Amino acid sequence: MVKLIGAIFIVVATTFTGFEAARNLSERPKQLRALKFALQSLEAEIMYGHTPLHEAARRLAAQMAKPLSTFFESFAGKLTNSETTVKEAWESSLKEIWKSTALKQGEYEIMRQFGETLGRHDRFSQQKHIMLTLTHLEREEAEAVQAQAKYEKMVKSLGFLSGLLLIILLF
Amino acid sequence: MGLEVDIIFKIAGVGIVVAFLHTVLDQVGKKEYAQWVTLFGFIYILFQVASIVDDLFQKIKSVFLFQ
Repeated sequence: MVKLIGAIFIVVATTFTGFEAARNLSERPKQLRALKFALQSLEAEIMYGHTPLHEAARRLAAQMAKPLSTFFESFAGKLTNSETTVKEAWESSLKEIWKSTALKQGEYEIMRQFGETLGRHDRFSQQKHIMLTLTHLEREEAEAVQAQAKYEKMVKSLGFLSGLLLIILLF
Repeated sequence: MGLEVDIIFKIAGVGIVVAFLHTVLDQVGKKEYAQWVTLFGFIYILFQVASIVDDLFQKIKSVFLFQ
């Protein structure tokens, strides 16, 4: 009886792990899309709204969903409350939220490099930098979608099957 | 006798699960992992069978040779 309960625990745990990994895979394209959308909104705020950066970040924070909204919120807060450069504020806010996203090192690098250009040029070069970042993100998104299609099912069944194997080996 | 049947079922279970793992890994193009999984399953079963055969030989020895 105790053996059976233990076996059930093992299967549940490994299956849950598999589903969690699959969720991570399916979350990444969604978050990349949201990130692209945020950059496009930022571009609109800069180009057509002539909004100052902290104001634009605050508006974006109100528009976006959870991980990105905290990012823009802390970015806006750092810009208004402390004496930092835009680059430093961007980078430290990026670091704060990065653990809670499903995004990878490549996207982090792209966003960090974008932060270096932010607020240092006139509007039109800023627009060009946003375009460049968007292109990079698009490439990453295509790659993420491909990875999801390839590995999502595999990770799920791998979790369950490894649990089953573990039970048989320990029985 | 009950123990023998248990071991047969265990071997069959390992075979089935390893076969599933092999096909799943094969389908997504991770052939090298699939081969490793199969190899380890095979080695594990080999050890099991070897110990059982060892038992059998000991029994035969004790019956026929050293009375």
